[in-house]
Amino acid sequence: MSAIQLNAVKKSYLLGETKVEALRGITLSIEKGDFLAIAGPSGSGKSTILNLIGCIDIPTAGTVIIDGKEVETLGDKELTRYRREKLGFIFQSFNLIPVLNVYENIEFPLLLKRKLNREDRRDRVMHIIERVGLQDRLKNKPSELSGGQRQRVAIARALVTRPLIILADEPTANLDTDTGHKILTLMQEINDTEKTTFVFSTHDEHIMEHARRIINLRDGMIVN
Amino acid sequence: MLIIIKLAVRTILRRKSRMLAIGILVFLGTMLLVFGQTFALSAAKASKQSIIDNFTGDFIIYSASSQEKPSPFSFTTPLPVIQNIDQVRQTLQDMPEVDVFVAYAQNYAIISVKRAEKAIEIPFIFYAVEPDNYNRAFKNSNISSGSFFGLDETRATPQQGILISLAQNERYKNFYDVEITVGEELTLLGLTPGGSINAVKTRLVGIFEPIYYKNVFDYINFTDMTTYSELYNFTGVTTDSLPDELNTIFSSTSEDDIFSLGTEEDFAVLDFSQLESQALSGYTMIAVKLKDHSMLEQVRTRFDQSTLNIKTAPWDEASGFFAQIADTLQAIIYAAVGLIFLIVTFIIMNTLIINIVERTAEIGTMRALGGEKGFIRNLFLTETLILNGAFAIGGIIISLLLIIIFGQSGIPLPDIVSQYLVGGGNLPLTLSLSPFTQALLVILLVSVLATLYPIRVATKILPLKAMN
Repeated sequence: MSAIQLNAVKKSYLLGETKVEALRGITLSIEKGDFLAIAGPSGSGKSTILNLIGCIDIPTAGTVIIDGKEVETLGDKELTRYRREKLGFIFQSFNLIPVLNVYENIEFPLLLKRKLNREDRRDRVMHIIERVGLQDRLKNKPSELSGGQRQRVAIARALVTRPLIILADEPTANLDTDTGHKILTLMQEINDTEKTTFVFSTHDEHIMEHARRIINLRDGMIVN
Repeated sequence: MLIIIKLAVRTILRRKSRMLAIGILVFLGTMLLVFGQTFALSAAKASKQSIIDNFTGDFIIYSASSQEKPSPFSFTTPLPVIQNIDQVRQTLQDMPEVDVFVAYAQNYAIISVKRAEKAIEIPFIFYAVEPDNYNRAFKNSNISSGSFFGLDETRATPQQGILISLAQNERYKNFYDVEITVGEELTLLGLTPGGSINAVKTRLVGIFEPIYYKNVFDYINFTDMTTYSELYNFTGVTTDSLPDELNTIFSSTSEDDIFSLGTEEDFAVLDFSQLESQALSGYTMIAVKLKDHSMLEQVRTRFDQSTLNIKTAPWDEASGFFAQIADTLQAIIYAAVGLIFLIVTFIIMNTLIINIVERTAEIGTMRALGGEKGFIRNLFLTETLILNGAFAIGGIIISLLLIIIFGQSGIPLPDIVSQYLVGGGNLPLTLSLSPFTQALLVILLVSVLATLYPIRVATKILPLKAMN
């Protein structure tokens, strides 16, 4: 069974009075442990696909199946729980919570999950922090970190709940080339060792080189 | 829950200046509510005490035929006389709940004084009192000169005459160019219930200064009950001064007995010079002090249901406007606090909306990471409760300190305010729980109300916003 299955997915929305067709019938299957890049220029529909897979948006037509479940049949509470249990997010602008330090930001999804005790949470967080190499920055607030360090925190936060899929929306867009490569290398290592499925969007060809599989989008359609 | 508190506290600290503005308003509002309410409650208590102790007792008994309420503070038409005063007195004496009672009357008269062979007539508003009884029940004046009907001169029986207030004498001086001195003989002129004018020679026995509610009580003077009864024909002859033969005749109950026992010889023994007059009635009010104020309604009900042909008015009805001053003050404080908290509610609401707009991505991220709507709702509610709670507790502590500092010695008030509010002097503050609980409840209510709409806005933020 695929980790993610998109069947003839369409997504349109209104921009003022104009109807914009963001996706025009996408069918796509992503396997468990995949390391997949969704490539394409701005406006091609990369983020829309990620939003649909991430259960933070619903398709206008077609079905999105994540780990065997059709997401459009789920209500808000169930979708929220689904995101908490199955998905991890890495955002283009890092989206760390500014008032929490590195440790607390990474621990945050575990607190929402409320399944682990304090000790187990600590073990889990410390293991991930070491994995992303931020053990000497535990008490730092996001504002005290560089862009690369912030994205490492975001990766650690996405990984800490051991999700089925990690979605990364242009994870290197706000980083310099060297840092971008380091972040992708880190994601690749985690994919290799933890077997976590990674789906990331990018329009940077150098970044695409890291992907095991690339889906090219243009005007809301897969072109390869 | 700990993470919500952590997020709330740090967000408040991160947005210090904006939150401080809200906090200061909450602090001031809480202080106004706690201190203001304590002030108003203390004023109400002090005013009640002052009125009961010095003017009305717990309640006033008056004639059932009266159309007006009795009031020691306002002088309108004199009330009708209580007809069966002896029965009422007896009933009061038999009641274990009654501490002390004093019968008196209010009325008007004219004082006629001679200056340069010319009679000058000046108005005289007075309480007609039994000096010793009144003095025992109410200590509401200081004697400036003379005495309170000779009572402070260790006389066996009170002296007859009148007392005027210092301010009244000043007014006589200013408006009539007449200054009365203690010991001066003068004539009282009064209109009797029968419509005739009576004149009674009397003298000024004392000049006093009211201690409480000076601004009103300055206009009120005193006369003794005997002088009053003579002035208004409420007099009779004491049985002690009548010959035994006549007492026997008058104590008979049938007309036959009276006319068969009484002969011309019997009446011939009457020596008018030996007769002593006594006040028969003329009392219009009886102020009753109870041993326990909480028994007021119970005792009043017994009187109201009796066949004594009387009515009762509790102290607050009898003192009218003065009893309401503290209540009015309390209402003003409530209105001011209400206005402040209404403003605070809108400011908090507005600030939270701005915060939410600024934190859209953060809220969207929390939702994307699996935070439920309830989490977002609790986060904003906790922020508001912590902020408001902290500043409210600050306001409560400062108010408590002020109440403790001023509690015993009392708050010094300008004399005019003090006179109207509590009858005079400092206002001692009484610590009571209700202003504190009210403050906490109001803060809780404001916090919840101010957060309702912002929470609605925040929980509508889609996780999709995290991506933007």
